[in-house]
Amino acid sequence: MANARALDKRRKSVRNIRKITRTMELIATARFKKAMDRATAATAYTRRITQLVSDLASSGLEVRHPLMEPREETKSALLLVLTGNRGLCGGYNGGVIRQAIPRYKELQESVANVQLEVSGKRGLTALNFRGIEPNESFMNFDDQPRFAEVEVIANRYLDEYAAGRLDRVEVAYTRFISIGKQEAIVETLLPLGGIEGADIAGDAKDASSGESMYEFLPSAESILEEVVPTSFKVKLFKCFLDAAVSEQIARMVAMKAATENAGDMIKQLSMTYNRARQSQITGEIMEIIGGVEALKN
Amino acid sequence: MAELNCIVVTPEKTALETKAEFVAMPLYDGEVGILPGHSPMIGRLGYGEMRIRAAGQETRYYVDGGFVQVADNVVSILTNRAVLGSSVDAEAARAQLASATKQTAATDEELAIRDRLVIQARTQIRVAERAK
Repeated sequence: MANARALDKRRKSVRNIRKITRTMELIATARFKKAMDRATAATAYTRRITQLVSDLASSGLEVRHPLMEPREETKSALLLVLTGNRGLCGGYNGGVIRQAIPRYKELQESVANVQLEVSGKRGLTALNFRGIEPNESFMNFDDQPRFAEVEVIANRYLDEYAAGRLDRVEVAYTRFISIGKQEAIVETLLPLGGIEGADIAGDAKDASSGESMYEFLPSAESILEEVVPTSFKVKLFKCFLDAAVSEQIARMVAMKAATENAGDMIKQLSMTYNRARQSQITGEIMEIIGGVEALKN
Repeated sequence: MAELNCIVVTPEKTALETKAEFVAMPLYDGEVGILPGHSPMIGRLGYGEMRIRAAGQETRYYVDGGFVQVADNVVSILTNRAVLGSSVDAEAARAQLASATKQTAATDEELAIRDRLVIQARTQIRVAERAK
């Protein structure tokens, strides 16, 4: 039987760890709520942009834009990987990396010039470990990504794309589907596959004979020209928001599991400890009795 | 009298949702004023000052491009940034102006970017000074 004192020591350390993981779980819960609120607040903008696009489309305007047309030949592509700055969040970072690396290899085979950009310390170390050197890395995104910061990146992509130096932009991130489900995926952002609202209006267009009640200033085309880049920016921003929310959920779940496991471990250790202590006492009593018996004779 | 319902949305959040008697905002080529009963309109915003008058009180905001949609007395303003006039950072704007004017622009695109930066900075300074 193991030493009772050693068992007690171990139990104490597990108890401390449980305290830490429990706190981290609470912190993650609070951060998740904040991130979730932000993500919900951001949908208002998306909804209105969608509305705007469908209004534009119902005016008989064909929704077309250079950003939406796939290039004939993809000469250079870019993969942006969104991971967390910190670990202890279960399979969150690993999941994204596991999606990103095969995709990166795949792109390298088919496209001449592939750039890799990564956000988050965890992703950077994971890539470095595999001997992949990203072209650019960002560390400034935490649980509350700011639009102004995302916009800088988005503008750079748009400029490169417009200049023809970039033909494809993909993002590997964890998409938030519901609180119970998040999924690591690779999504193509440029060329834009289509803007939400454009298709729905396409059907309505036939019915409404292309007349719109809106007056466009300066013109529908000019507004569309502005809407498409904006919708790209918002899409990219949403990726960052989704990633932030998913990270907090992953951390919350991981820390909850850790706390529970620590609890189980403490129970087990307590049992072993009690047994060890009991047997120690029994042993001592036996020795005393043995001594007394020896003195009698 | 009918009232306008003015909603200002940025990608991060709904910045403002209020009733208003009159809203003026910068379009791409000049200011537009909207009173209740305005005909449906979709417009492209420029950089500049937006004024919202509600109950005789005028509030000034700096808006940073975007769109406006007017329909059924609802004015939706979609913009990258909406900052209260008094909290516009004039110092940062001045720094942006200084660095932008120093920038050399060779191509049309670079020229457009520089112009945008200059206009952004100048209007921000103007809005900030007026709010004082």
